Amino acid sequence: MSTTETTTTPVEIPSTTRADWQSDQEVRWCPGCGDYTILAALQFALPDMGVRREDTVVVGGIGCAARFPYYMNTYGVHGIHGRAPAIATGVALANPDLSVFVIGGDGDLLSIGGNHLLHALRRNVNLTILLFNNRIYGLTKGQYSPTSEQGKVTKSSPQGSEDAPLIPLSVALGADATFVARTHDMDRKHMEEVFKRAHQHRGAAFVEVLQNCNVFNNHAYEQITARKNREDMIIPLTQGEPIRFGPDGSKGVVLDPKHGAVVVDTADVSEDDLLVHDEARDHPSVAFALSRLSPNMDEPTPMGVFRAVDKPVYGERNPVTEQPPGRQLITDLLHSGSTWTVD
Amino acid sequence: MTTRLVEGSEAVADAMMRAGCRFFAGYPMTPFTEVLEHMAAGLPELGGVCVNAESELEAVGMVWGAAAAGARAATGSTGQGLSLMQESISEASMAGVGFVVLNMARGQGDYYQATRGGGHGDYRTPVLAPTGPAEVAELIAEAFDLADRWRNPVVVVGDYYMAHTWVDIESSADAPAPRPAPGWTLDGSSGGSGAAKLVSPLGTTKQRDGVGYDLAAHYDRCARRRIEMTAGITPRAEQVRTDDAQVVIVAYGTMALYADAVVNDLRAAGHKVGLVRPITLWPFPEEQVRAAAEGADVVAVYENNAGQMIDDVRLSVLGAVPVVGLNGFSTDSSAFGISPDVTVENLTGSILQLLDEHSGDPT
Ligand code: SF4
Repeated sequence: MSTTETTTTPVEIPSTTRADWQSDQEVRWCPGCGDYTILAALQFALPDMGVRREDTVVVGGIGCAARFPYYMNTYGVHGIHGRAPAIATGVALANPDLSVFVIGGDGDLLSIGGNHLLHALRRNVNLTILLFNNRIYGLTKGQYSPTSEQGKVTKSSPQGSEDAPLIPLSVALGADATFVARTHDMDRKHMEEVFKRAHQHRGAAFVEVLQNCNVFNNHAYEQITARKNREDMIIPLTQGEPIRFGPDGSKGVVLDPKHGAVVVDTADVSEDDLLVHDEARDHPSVAFALSRLSPNMDEPTPMGVFRAVDKPVYGERNPVTEQPPGRQLITDLLHSGSTWTVD
Repeated sequence: MTTRLVEGSEAVADAMMRAGCRFFAGYPMTPFTEVLEHMAAGLPELGGVCVNAESELEAVGMVWGAAAAGARAATGSTGQGLSLMQESISEASMAGVGFVVLNMARGQGDYYQATRGGGHGDYRTPVLAPTGPAEVAELIAEAFDLADRWRNPVVVVGDYYMAHTWVDIESSADAPAPRPAPGWTLDGSSGGSGAAKLVSPLGTTKQRDGVGYDLAAHYDRCARRRIEMTAGITPRAEQVRTDDAQVVIVAYGTMALYADAVVNDLRAAGHKVGLVRPITLWPFPEEQVRAAAEGADVVAVYENNAGQMIDDVRLSVLGAVPVVGLNGFSTDSSAFGISPDVTVENLTGSILQLLDEHSGDPT
């Protein structure tokens, strides 16, 4: 849009610290909520992202996570439940100079806003989308969410939920998202690295952040993310490296023609059999196979960047120059198609 | 200036682009679809953006995002699509984000949806109902101005006939440049201080002033702004020969075009008949309707539904004159076009009958 004309000279990025990105608002989450460390990670990472506060917009929907815009010293929209990707798309297209973050929970972005999320991803709108997955509805005090495990007993599912959970990364890859990553709230450094990568990506970047809701779904990821369990349970994805984890790299991942990605003892296979991680694979199927590891979040779980590919960013394609039919002159229309003479 | 013969939908799209609209999003639905198509054809040439949204929910969401980022933005649909948009329209009103929403309705069954709104909360939206290409251009420009002035969504009501009737419009080669982004928008023009701007229906600020999250105070401000907006918009109506009319017809949109023809024919035959055509449906032109009804024997409301605007007419007249409805029409079974009962002959017959019933003083 025409507003882009205002930034013909490169803008100077003032150096900032975490404090510059903190607003004056009192942060109101439950004590011990994972959202605090995610907020800190983002505020620690932003000074390295090469962006000015006044060019940054944080868009939230409704939910605990969606309160982010209050706490960020940036522009913000606290929008409507589910609609954050749609609102953010409007912001990003109306002013492509802005860095636009979408922050939402599993209910906000996968239930009521699932459709908006899919379409923002498939269009490859230039957005950084952070989905905090706590596998529960926190703000409304503990009902099962679209990522809750089957059989989850909550106040709204006293007999255990019948719904099969969505795997957020599989959903994003199914929509052919160009950047897909996972991180977790117990490792601030990892979050910072992933957030920086996501922000650097041109197009729609999707990051799932495993987040503990200590009040309504405590210990949801403890089997994986607790410090003592990480070595056995986190599969770090390193670009160009065979996928190994566990004590002394004793475990690894291979691609099995029948079962997709599977975890093996490295002693049982040759080094060449191990899957070499390549986030730049154009086809999303290998990344998808990795996203299916640990569907219930109780087995070894890959962490890091699953996919990062370059595709045209929405709105930056060359405009079609051909005159569309709606703009023709009436005289041209009268002489178009079949014409004949009546004698 | 050249004169072009265009479909009504293109006249609507042309008016929007000339009014500075540079962001448009919509989902296909007859008879709104062609407006979307014309916006998609025209906006990129002007450096604007038109998005085929995944639903009306997404369309209106994008539009309030674009408006929040400073663009003149609009969306639209047909009644059902507007039903889906109500949530965003009411929330945007509370957040103080202005944009234009077209309802290219199929009949006039959405009068209440437009004038009362189907959303939640204490909000109102100005509603304009143009007829004819010149008024379409004028009122669409005005709708964007009102949206900016009051930071509130504004509804423009069109219909099937407006969308699909070919009309001639005057157009110059270039559209005027869009207005600069308003100061409150997320335009990256001011520093990220503690007061960094937040657009929120909850009215929350980021300042450490102790009232960062005072919903009651925000709703109170919204209510006062709403009252100010209501008082700040001059209700408008066209009066056609109402001076000494015994029967005053009230009709808007396409129905008013029929009524206008009938009034002129009946006047030519010596009958004292007049027409009030509300141009703003909200605020409703109560004064104009009341003044026209003064001295009349009866007020007849001609609308293509089971009777909706008649309530506003009754509120305007306040019992001074009997108010009857010439309604009970609906659109045909597929909801396209206009009921076969809506004809000049039928309306003429109904009015002659009213004149007969109320003719204590034959002319
Ligand atoms: S309810 Fe859960 S997610 Fe929400 S603030 Fe409290 S701990 Fe965090």
